[in-house]
Amino acid sequence: METSKALSPLTRITRYTLIDEVQQRSFVIMFIICASCVFLVRGCYQGNYVVNGHALDTEAVVGAVSKVTFHLIGAGVMVIAALLSMRIFRRDRMEGMQSCILSKPITRWQYVAGKIIGIWLLSVTFMFLLHSIVFLITSINLKVFMPEYLIASLLCSVNLLFVIIATLLLSLLMSDIIAFLCLLGVGVAGFVADGIVAASHSQIAQAIVQQPGGHAQSDLAWWKVVYFLWPKLLAVQQLSSSLFESESHQGVGSLYPLLNVLLYCLLLGTLLFKRFRNEDIV
Amino acid sequence: MIELKNVTKRYEQLTAVDDVSFSVKSGEYFALLGPNGAGKTTIVKMLLDFTRPTTGSLSLGGIPSTLADSRQSIGYLAENHHIPPSLSGWHYLLRCAELLDMNRIEATIQCRRIIELIGMHGRENAKAGTYSKGMVQRFGLGAALLGDPKLLILDEPTSGLDPIGIREIRLLLESLKSQGVTVFLNSHLLSEVEKICDTAAIINRGKLLVKDSISAIVKDGETLEDVFVRLVKG
Repeated sequence: METSKALSPLTRITRYTLIDEVQQRSFVIMFIICASCVFLVRGCYQGNYVVNGHALDTEAVVGAVSKVTFHLIGAGVMVIAALLSMRIFRRDRMEGMQSCILSKPITRWQYVAGKIIGIWLLSVTFMFLLHSIVFLITSINLKVFMPEYLIASLLCSVNLLFVIIATLLLSLLMSDIIAFLCLLGVGVAGFVADGIVAASHSQIAQAIVQQPGGHAQSDLAWWKVVYFLWPKLLAVQQLSSSLFESESHQGVGSLYPLLNVLLYCLLLGTLLFKRFRNEDIV
Repeated sequence: MIELKNVTKRYEQLTAVDDVSFSVKSGEYFALLGPNGAGKTTIVKMLLDFTRPTTGSLSLGGIPSTLADSRQSIGYLAENHHIPPSLSGWHYLLRCAELLDMNRIEATIQCRRIIELIGMHGRENAKAGTYSKGMVQRFGLGAALLGDPKLLILDEPTSGLDPIGIREIRLLLESLKSQGVTVFLNSHLLSEVEKICDTAAIINRGKLLVKDSISAIVKDGETLEDVFVRLVKG
């Protein structure tokens, strides 16, 4: 009984958040542009690639193109989710909805949770629709069915949850645009770090490190700790894409990125609720 | 119905509310008066838990204001009321009604009644972006009246309204008296306050100067405005 009483306003705030965002012209334009871009890649799925007179394996080409598209959509929707989240609190404050909602018997956690869930559902649907377009193109054009592609899309939604919670928290601490840029910085730093780590595993990098003039072991260890604790957004995408790739991640270690991002969601979510509880409502 | 016990609110160096204590009985029409920056809106915000007191406590119907249950039967109209410009007045009211846990049928019936009550019939489907300040204020008051609240907290309810609108609001508030509604009014319109309120408190620079019935505050040959000016100017 108590649970349903608590869920009722939460569900309503979630619904209003969804409706308000979808009614924004900028959102509709963003979706049309993204969907058009995804449609444009359908030319890559012709399945008749020939290199040096040898026809390439269709499935390999489809797999590679699908993987690239998957990551691009994942990263793009993360940026869109941050853009959607950064103005949520400010807009509600300016339009009087925050004071309107919180003057009712609705707790602050219900309000914040409703906002998070609303934008998250919207972003997940947005990403899922874009991934579905790719799925349909491969299914119709090449008769290659990859249901794992859609499951991978849903797995990537963890990243969106992180982006939304982090942006909402940062938007309470700084201006909206700075909050967005900070989050973009976290994402880019993670992507670059993953690139550096991948490069450091190359034979050349290993040889440099082993030379007398190479980097000290302690420096590398410090860097590794930071890298290990940094939000693993790209790694979650890679883990998700491994679902439809031939090479798959195995073992508990491969689940670390997912745990890392989920723990960040928990930590930042707690901070967000705590911060918003002490926020003055205007 | 409302109780403030030694409430103080400090914003860094500024003391917005300084050790204020008073209570408002059920069914009472109470006005909180004071010049700009006296701390009236801060008290309203603390009542609604929009901001927390530095010291002291507030309660509504015996429930601490920090608990959401204290807002179970409250209607609130903000000083500068806003409605999202993308919503129509009708959808705004419907949303407010649903947030009070009403189902769609119940909410629709209530909203129709409220639209008539605030005199906005025929304009409810226009986008709020096209409304005048007075119309927004009327819809705000309508939203506050949804769910038949036992307590109405109105922060400058006549702000932006023309004399006819002000009179209509006064008549509307007077009509609620028979229903036993408690009204907590923040207003600058002392003549209107004098007409509808039973009790009043005057605060200045966060300090409570007086809290009594209007008849006790206003002596023979004086108006509330005279008393207000005398007390505030010291």
